[in-house]
Amino acid sequence: MALNTLPNAGLTKKGYPSDRITTPIIINGDMSIAQRSTSTASITSAGYHTIDRYQIYLATLGTWTMSQSTDVPTGQGFAKSLKLDCTTADASPSANDEFYLRQKFEGQNLQHLAYGTSSAQSLTLSFWVKCNKATTATCMLQDHDNSKIQVKSYTISSANTWEKKIVTFSGNTSNSLNNDNGLSLDVRWWLDSGSSFTSGTPTGDWEANVNSKKNPDNLALASSTSNEWYITGIQMEVGEFDSTSIPSFRFESIDENLRRCCRYYQDYASFKLWTTALDGNTTTRLGGVFAFNTTMRAAPSVSKTNNTGTIDSQTITDKGYSVFAEKTDRGTTTNVTDIELDSEL
Amino acid sequence: MSNIKSVTKQPLIDENTKHNYIVVYDDDKEWTVPHDENNRMYQEILEWVAAGNTITDPGA
Repeated sequence: MALNTLPNAGLTKKGYPSDRITTPIIINGDMSIAQRSTSTASITSAGYHTIDRYQIYLATLGTWTMSQSTDVPTGQGFAKSLKLDCTTADASPSANDEFYLRQKFEGQNLQHLAYGTSSAQSLTLSFWVKCNKATTATCMLQDHDNSKIQVKSYTISSANTWEKKIVTFSGNTSNSLNNDNGLSLDVRWWLDSGSSFTSGTPTGDWEANVNSKKNPDNLALASSTSNEWYITGIQMEVGEFDSTSIPSFRFESIDENLRRCCRYYQDYASFKLWTTALDGNTTTRLGGVFAFNTTMRAAPSVSKTNNTGTIDSQTITDKGYSVFAEKTDRGTTTNVTDIELDSEL
Repeated sequence: MSNIKSVTKQPLIDENTKHNYIVVYDDDKEWTVPHDENNRMYQEILEWVAAGNTITDPGA
């Protein structure tokens, strides 16, 4: 299939054809939003530890510091990168150990890919990467609706040097993605694994989800505490592009980027939801409610510090949160604070 | 996400709503998780129960 080429007419000032001005598939590709934390040390398990929308999956494979770094490729307009730094090595992982970074996508945001039809669109992944190891590594797409994977390699040519990588994934003409708010697809960068994930040979096209084919080119980032890996400028374009035809990174305003991240996570660290007395007999009944700053993907999990007494009931929807409590002593502070909302995929 | 240490069902005052679950992970962080199959922590509760663990129900 021929590579896409940009037309001479109809280009915007950013270099996009006017008919391609769509919301980027990747959220927070420039790593500028980090609501949870800008640096978390001693990571030994999976989770969303720092930069919004990026989950590390980690199963007994070293100890890590994940941070929002200011080490970025020169002259590209990026101010932040995601850094993973090995603080406890594991040079001999067990067979089933695995470690990767990923971003997950809702199926309803990918319907324009026309998966499951003869018009299924390719995706081109572009990113800047820097690592102290010059080697070949693996990235892949996983289709969670149809249990399929497509595995590709990329090569870090020079150690400790920012390099831009372009990887193209073919469209899936056989299987459609669910048109809902659930997890349909993720893109992941393998960082290390045991032999259960490295022993197979992927076809490079869509194929059955088999663990042994997922990480054929193992970066082995946990092999030494000297190892560190950076990434930024992630974009995923519809169509096939190479290093000369790939559109420029679409920078979003900070408020636009944050709003998109808030569909999945919202942090109200110093916010206090004051609970007001509803009546007062022998006990004071308290209630409080607040609406989220943007509708979330689904009803979120809520973490909070509770200063209201025993909470008797909470209502959580994708749009807001309410709390009801009873308190036997009046006149003390009554609020819920340190609220975090998590609706990640 | 860390591993689940405990799950407690939160009693209902309004019978028209669904139960929430108070989940404590092994980092001792507590989350209130709605009964919603689209919530990933609710899915983790289901997996935790399927692995043989039991939800504490104060109203039982």
